[in-house]
Amino acid sequence: MFKYIFKRALMLVPVLIGVTFIVFTMLYITPGDPARMVLGEQAPQESVDQLRQDMGLNDPFLVQFGRYVYKAVFHGDIGRSYITKRPVVQEILAAFPVTLKLSAMAMIIAMVIGIPCGIVSAIKQYSLFDNLVTIFAMIGISMPVFWLGILLILLFSVRLGWVPPSGFDSFSTMILPAVTLGAQSIAIITRMTRSSMLEVVRQDYIRTVRAKGQKERIVIWKHALGNALIPVVTISGIQFGILLGGAVLTELIFSIPGVGRLMVESIKMRDFPVVQGGVLFIAVAFCVVNLLVDLIYAWLDPRIKAQYVS
Amino acid sequence: MKSKCFKVFAAMCVAALAAGMMAGDPASAREKKDPDTLVVANVYDAKTLDPYATNDVASSGAMLHIYNRLVTLNDKNEVVGDLAESFEQLDDLTYRFVLKKGVKFHNGEELKASDVVFSLKRALAPTSGAVKHIVGAIDLESIVAVDDYTVEVKTLFPFSAFLPSMTHMGGGAILNEKAVTEAGDNYGMNPVGTGPFKLVEWKRGDKIVMERFDGYFGDKPAFKNLIIRAIPEGTNRTIELESGNVDIAYQITTNDVARVEANKNLKLLRLIDNSTAYLGFNCEKAPFDDVRVRQAITMALPVPAIMKAVLRGVGAPAVGPIAPNVKYSNKGLEAMPYDVEKAKALLAEAGYPNGFKTAIWTNDRKVRIDIATVAQNQLKKIGVDVEIQVLEWGAFLEGLTQKKHDMFIVGWTCQTPDPDMAVYAPFHSSMKGNNNFTFFGDDEIDQLLEKGRLIADGPERQDVYYRIQDILRERGPWVFLYNDEQVVGTQDYVKGFVPSPFGFHALYNVTFDAN
Repeated sequence: MFKYIFKRALMLVPVLIGVTFIVFTMLYITPGDPARMVLGEQAPQESVDQLRQDMGLNDPFLVQFGRYVYKAVFHGDIGRSYITKRPVVQEILAAFPVTLKLSAMAMIIAMVIGIPCGIVSAIKQYSLFDNLVTIFAMIGISMPVFWLGILLILLFSVRLGWVPPSGFDSFSTMILPAVTLGAQSIAIITRMTRSSMLEVVRQDYIRTVRAKGQKERIVIWKHALGNALIPVVTISGIQFGILLGGAVLTELIFSIPGVGRLMVESIKMRDFPVVQGGVLFIAVAFCVVNLLVDLIYAWLDPRIKAQYVS
Repeated sequence: MKSKCFKVFAAMCVAALAAGMMAGDPASAREKKDPDTLVVANVYDAKTLDPYATNDVASSGAMLHIYNRLVTLNDKNEVVGDLAESFEQLDDLTYRFVLKKGVKFHNGEELKASDVVFSLKRALAPTSGAVKHIVGAIDLESIVAVDDYTVEVKTLFPFSAFLPSMTHMGGGAILNEKAVTEAGDNYGMNPVGTGPFKLVEWKRGDKIVMERFDGYFGDKPAFKNLIIRAIPEGTNRTIELESGNVDIAYQITTNDVARVEANKNLKLLRLIDNSTAYLGFNCEKAPFDDVRVRQAITMALPVPAIMKAVLRGVGAPAVGPIAPNVKYSNKGLEAMPYDVEKAKALLAEAGYPNGFKTAIWTNDRKVRIDIATVAQNQLKKIGVDVEIQVLEWGAFLEGLTQKKHDMFIVGWTCQTPDPDMAVYAPFHSSMKGNNNFTFFGDDEIDQLLEKGRLIADGPERQDVYYRIQDILRERGPWVFLYNDEQVVGTQDYVKGFVPSPFGFHALYNVTFDAN
């Protein structure tokens, strides 16, 4: 098992080099001068030229890329923010716990609501409940995050005054953003659980269990759910990875200082080191989540575990 | 089981909807929750708290409470001493500042002339490009500490706007040599000034928390804690204000103005600021190198009507290059004439009887896109076929610098109260491609701009700037669009808050009405 984890960790290396290269190239060809953005539009050109020189932006692309990779690999240094002059790692580590908390809450909400709804929908297929869940799931998938966020703020902050509309420093401030961010995941997990469950309950072994006279509750919870959950775990893992890197809109609407907002601000300011570091960080987080999902697979399904071990 | 589940669910939905509909206006008379804390909602977070490393409004707004300058502006926009007990001009080039004694920095060090020399030299260093346009007139070699409390500075040329430029928040700020040296690259996150507040905590992207500095040499603020939050969503700033979570909210959006005005717990303060938005021409590119084409387009745009439609009551149509709160702004100017027939005749005279195709560049600010859209329609009347190109800010600036544009919409803010800052950089021929994005060059304007820098304040200087405004209106490198407005919402109990035309506001004078 550890060998497998080690192998997977090794596979991160080419992924990260690829990600770094793509991001580096994209930023390199993006119009807009970081030195100009740092100094402001009123700064004289000679100051901007001087700063470009100091930042090493006049060097050829490959020299800049090589220097970045060399420093990152041999010194663990992924640069300093052009704006704050703080190490990029420090900038990201200040923002990441916020995004992690937000994404985790959103994911918990999504799973706590999504999985039971999906199960009941599948068991009571075509019932009123199933139809209602389907409608809500469709709404959840289709509704844009920024719109849902604003509607929730209008209802729960402005009209009812129950929770504050922005910030992220107490439990009450976290509820609306987490629901907003999780809405789409609730819908996706519900749909996935439902279809996966439907597939499983039609299989022969379930029919056999039922034929043996087992109670329906045990049929569902003990025999069907375990198998039905495998694709749900996959989709939840992917969703969590997306939430970690893609909470940008939610963070903007609710003024939450997470990684998404840091990235947007850094892109606007052409703070290249932070953008590069942020993308790398999100890539690592995504890969780690995927690895965890694979490990959970093994735990859920002994057949997969057997593959790993062999 | 099925029907029970459904009933509970349906009841919950109905209850939420009903509660939503029945809940009244959350605004009801309220008192200040914490009388020792002022919470302000700004749009952006500061970039850095190193005054020479940035020149943006959000950073300046925070630094205004951490640092002092040698001189500052009083209510009448006159230059008065801040850290300087007195100051005088010794000759055309030389200025002497005598410092107040016993002024302490937040780290306990006393302010000495050596700190001022260190600060000014640092502001002039190549790494401090963000304030170079403010302090660039100072002769680096000339800065000397005469004694512990006296500093002398020479300018490179006689420069009548020198003292007003030293009131600039970034360029004029005085730092503590020891603190800067000790913090090194981390100084921007660990600022040390002499101001009424010292930094306690900065959660990037979220809030800056400051605490009253008890060793402050001036009048101490009435409250202990100052929190400046960054809330980019305009609606959220208003909601936070309405719900009493913030005491002051900057930049209330046009959509929310009526709501704040209607709320009896809130006050709305408005002030036309020092920015001028304009539609610029690339004066070195045909057909805009012909003054008649520029005049024709200016005449074909009914600016006051466009601004009324686009700005919906916020801001004011601009009539010249110098905003109304800047010295020597000619208050007698009227809107440029709107005359489609004359515009057509001018175009025909310039050799474009059937008009031409061109493009307006703008960044993604909605107001600017709206203006471009209306202008596009208006210019059809004189046969000018306009394509609107919306560019991201960084790409937009780069394109302007490289002279790739035809027409463009952008703004210029005068960051000192002196008109030199309003017109020198955008119109002097030596600034082409730098801040003169129209690439406008005119000998008469150059001479007047240079003269305006040399002569002392008085009627002669006023005449120079009035003449500059007249010529620029006539030769039309810009179509003057609007002067923006600072629209600030505050709780009713907030007293002593006065908005500033520079876009960042002093908070240390605020008090809370004890009702």
